[in-house]
Amino acid sequence: MNNGTTRSGPFRLRVWGDNACFTRPEMKAERVSYDVMTPSAARGVMEAILWKPGMQWRITRLDVLNPIRWASVRRNEVSAKASTHTVNFFIEEKRQQRAGLILRDVAYIIHSCIELTSEAGMTDSIVKFQEMFLRRAENGQCFTMPYLGCREFTASFELVKMKDPLPLALAETRDLGWMLHDMDFSCSPPRPRFFRAVMEEGVIQVPELESQEVRR
Amino acid sequence: MILQALHQYFQRKQSSEENALPRGYQKKSLSFVIVLDEQGQFCGFRDCRELLGKKKAGRVFLVPREVKRSSGIKANLLWDNLEYVLGYDMKQSGKSADKHAEFIATIRRFFERPGIDMGIDAVLAFLERGDFAMLFADALWPEIVKDNGFISFHLAQDRGLTLVSDRDRVRARIEEKAQVDPGEGEKVRCLVTGNMDYPVNLHTAIKGVYGAQSSGGNIVSFNCAAFESYEKTQGGNAPVGKEAEYGYTTALNNLLGRDSTQRVQVGDASTVFWAAQSHVMEGYFAQFFNDSGGDESEQDNELIKALYTAPHTGKEPVMEEDMTPFYILGLSPNAARIAIRFWYEGTVGETVRHIKQHFADCRVAHGPREPGYLSIFRLLVSTASLGKSENINPNLAGAMARAIFLGLPYPRSLLSAVLSRVKAEQANDKWPNVSYARVSLIKAVLVREKRFYGKNIKEVDMSLDKTNDNPGYLLGRLFAVLEKIQEDANPGLNATIRDRFYGAASATPAAVFPRLLKLKNHHLAKMEQASWVTAHEKRVGEIMEKLEKFPNHLGLDDQGRFAVGYYHQRNDFYKSKEARERENEQENN
Repeated sequence: MNNGTTRSGPFRLRVWGDNACFTRPEMKAERVSYDVMTPSAARGVMEAILWKPGMQWRITRLDVLNPIRWASVRRNEVSAKASTHTVNFFIEEKRQQRAGLILRDVAYIIHSCIELTSEAGMTDSIVKFQEMFLRRAENGQCFTMPYLGCREFTASFELVKMKDPLPLALAETRDLGWMLHDMDFSCSPPRPRFFRAVMEEGVIQVPELESQEVRR
Repeated sequence: MILQALHQYFQRKQSSEENALPRGYQKKSLSFVIVLDEQGQFCGFRDCRELLGKKKAGRVFLVPREVKRSSGIKANLLWDNLEYVLGYDMKQSGKSADKHAEFIATIRRFFERPGIDMGIDAVLAFLERGDFAMLFADALWPEIVKDNGFISFHLAQDRGLTLVSDRDRVRARIEEKAQVDPGEGEKVRCLVTGNMDYPVNLHTAIKGVYGAQSSGGNIVSFNCAAFESYEKTQGGNAPVGKEAEYGYTTALNNLLGRDSTQRVQVGDASTVFWAAQSHVMEGYFAQFFNDSGGDESEQDNELIKALYTAPHTGKEPVMEEDMTPFYILGLSPNAARIAIRFWYEGTVGETVRHIKQHFADCRVAHGPREPGYLSIFRLLVSTASLGKSENINPNLAGAMARAIFLGLPYPRSLLSAVLSRVKAEQANDKWPNVSYARVSLIKAVLVREKRFYGKNIKEVDMSLDKTNDNPGYLLGRLFAVLEKIQEDANPGLNATIRDRFYGAASATPAAVFPRLLKLKNHHLAKMEQASWVTAHEKRVGEIMEKLEKFPNHLGLDDQGRFAVGYYHQRNDFYKSKEARERENEQENN
């Protein structure tokens, strides 16, 4: 068991899809997407490929490969959801048509690492999870279909091995404003955390969770 | 980015303008004002309406910020509707007494003790007296009831039309209260500014979006269970601080205001635009897209011509290199919410370049009485049935605006919308089915696609191109020539082959053209002038020699070229003698 390192080396996964919608929290009713993938959405993609209670994903960097293009669509959505309180409702009465501003033809490279959590058992180690992930990503295995923001926008993925050259990112530098970093699940109810996202030559450095840059 | 950009615009306006909006106030249009004297006696009503076009609209005043109310009883400060201010029961709801009491209570809460301001004392005295019989007997009262708007107070001795809420001491007090409002709950991280701030539960309504409810809509709203996550309700789902909320809603309401020069209507999307710093583009932009009002407006065309000539004459600074950030936001209504149709964030230079490109793509030779450049509105309305703007496909308008701003090819649906209009409409001279606007659009779609996708076919040009041998184009030209032959043979004809055969000729030429060519022979035989006969025969021959055969079907692109060819040829017939002579000279030289 490898006690020295609690964090694996970086993995690079290329993710792409026809559509994506990383919904801004303030515009959830009529969806407007963020310009780029959020770290929490990237974490979602990685977790769809591999997740165990003993490990967690840390996103370190996001590369944007395709130019940012938008599309405005109207979709049929629902206005109610089932919960422990609701006894019953007829979903056909709760359908509404809402507009959405989504991204088109997206491609990203997610740089991430694995870390052990407190629930890691005796037989869990970084090397084990590393090998598991590499094997699964290579074969295209996943627990659930990874998606880009909304479940209906499925993502295709491909591992970029260390020895392969990294695809070129977009040659654009932009300030993307405050972006959702992730939800802090240690509080109850969970609280969102934000960071200032700056895209330099298509690369967004995602700050560490506990760093100053991530405001909670 | 959207809320953030709006917030920055608000901050820019606050710091630069002298008549920036004071804290705690907003603009509201009131039609009538109650005039009181110092003791709070009713002196009369004052009609503040102004003539706006053909309708009378209320004058815009600065009033204290409104409270958000949906079903409860909440009163605005010193202004409100008739039910709150006078307890006048419009709809027999029975709650008027409570509302009226709440109105008085709100004023008292703000001005705890009498003597702060004379105006407030007068208003309170008037309201507590409760005797409104004189008001109801006034001559203007029936009109006020009919108007059913908001009403406020004015002291007779004050100059002009200053409302009581605008008096110095009152204003100072309101601004003071607006600053130190402690806010409820604990501070959270605002996702617009990044600072810690008190969260806002319900955002101020955005008014002025065309087609939305009159009480306004919200961009940030969570009014259904499906939008609430992690057990958060309402505004807790997206923490926006008070500062940021005030900033962006005020900025947006101002941009959408009635007398704002920074908004245009593109289909169903109310579009606003602004630059990061004060820029002339903010004034110009609207003129590119708004309808010039029917007849050719000299200033608008001058502006567009200036865009083209400036680099040559060097008169204006070249705007195409300008790197000032420029934002365009398109909003469309959906019940009580506002959907964002498109968001464009670029530079002034980019925008100017794209607009120029759009106008260059749309240029088509036209009759002498038609305007040189068509506004977006005119182009879009030509795709709507009956020429009504509410029949414009909403998605089309938004997609087209985005295509123009970003320099993308126009949506394919635009081509099919235009062609279906051309085929569906019964033509007459006042309202031709192959109209200038429609041909502009078709030409623009084809030319842009060619440029964007790098096709190396020859595309249609601005005016008649005799060397173009695309079958669709040639067939369009042939159709125009055949129609002219028929018109020349039978002067004063009501329905030509265009009315009967256009759709079929455009879509399935092989079925129609042989018959038309046979008919042409009869028309030529009937024609009186021999010189005309030979001229027509020459034209038909010239076109036919480029055609190999009549295709069975024409695809959408080729049908577009058919329409363009038809239009070019017809225009060529009606060119004035001087223009033709000028052209011949140019060719000879």
